[in-house]
Amino acid sequence: MDMTGLNMLAGWAVNGDTIMTEQMPIFGGYCGGVEETAICDVATTLASFVMFNSHIHLDGPIHIRWGITTARETLQISSHVGAALDLNTDLLLSNQYYPTAGPCTEMCLLETAAQAIADTASGRELISGSAASKGVARDKSTPMEARIMGEAAIATAGMNVADVNEILDLLIGSYEAEFHHPPKGKRFQECYDLKTLTPSAEYIGVYENSIQILKEIGLKMKY
Amino acid sequence: MVASKPVSVFEAYDRFLNGKKAREDTWDYVTVPNNAALIKNRYYLEFGKKIIPEDKDIMNRLFQAGVDMLVETGFFNPDLGKVMYVTEDEIFEGIKKATKKLRLGHGKDEVVCERRHGNPSPKPIIQGGPTGAPVSEDIFVAMMQSYAQESTVDTLVSGVMSTVDGHAPTANTPWEIKATLAEIRAVREGMIRAERPGMAI
Repeated sequence: MDMTGLNMLAGWAVNGDTIMTEQMPIFGGYCGGVEETAICDVATTLASFVMFNSHIHLDGPIHIRWGITTARETLQISSHVGAALDLNTDLLLSNQYYPTAGPCTEMCLLETAAQAIADTASGRELISGSAASKGVARDKSTPMEARIMGEAAIATAGMNVADVNEILDLLIGSYEAEFHHPPKGKRFQECYDLKTLTPSAEYIGVYENSIQILKEIGLKMKY
Repeated sequence: MVASKPVSVFEAYDRFLNGKKAREDTWDYVTVPNNAALIKNRYYLEFGKKIIPEDKDIMNRLFQAGVDMLVETGFFNPDLGKVMYVTEDEIFEGIKKATKKLRLGHGKDEVVCERRHGNPSPKPIIQGGPTGAPVSEDIFVAMMQSYAQESTVDTLVSGVMSTVDGHAPTANTPWEIKATLAEIRAVREGMIRAERPGMAI
């Protein structure tokens, strides 16, 4: 925590603002492997509430090789951390989304759905996304990714966790081999009509295909 | 030892000032990885193949490992080159004090964020938006409006406006301040156009 962060927190605390503290541990970085990164993640999540006046914590374990939150290892970290804190505290926990594929691709929607499923079943209270294309490409985010994030969460809420794990294993396995060459997808301007703010017929089709894939692996999606 | 009171950000600053001196490279390359590995072994943590843990024992061991990590390692301030510490009692005092329920937004657009505990049928709050990704200035309002009109989206998260008045919002410059305020105005305009003016950002 540097002085800029401390000073901003001080201002918000005195002002009575709602404070969400963001912290993204890097799997494969200084912390080490999956378990070590999870330990650091629990510690820093606790610190945000215990030392820095936070009201809700925004997680986001990142894979050092791929720069994303939707890899098998980073989903395992965030799910274990969420479940461990959920079982032992009343803290409000959230997570954020950085898939590697770009908008208007099935891979992007399936990555986003996988994280929504994992976050929901591990007890998190808020999910925040999604920044497709790793969150680094200009205009490569659209509401269709947020839509599948929400719909996948709704379908997952209330499910048995063992069943959720089976779905996740299949779902992550369906896209992780593509991390070397993820589809770049399209910009918001290419996915939406900027006058009517409606998604393109192409993206609607991609969305429907993705929902069908999720249904086939066991997720009871309504829409 | 029983905590005298919860730690605040102001107490944290005082503890940093009076904390133990440390070098950033030693902290990054030695202190954090060594302590994490040590504590992993202490609690026999091996996640196996499951993405979400189904065994409460491993959840409890991971939680206690995180508590140990915070107590024994402390927290580093790179500007001051100091490490502050909290006790285990202070951690649990802070957990008890923490907010259990948040009202986000206002009016008809308000949503309540409260503890779910496990995987109950209430869904998490859905916060939609580009999540810090770069967004062109000329489409910013349209993009945020399109998120706000989504029926599953409860609250909004902003992107980063790539330019403001054509200038890059470089960190630690006046343009950064202007761009940040322009972002907030654009998000609010998008919410209003979507007829959800009370959404939380």
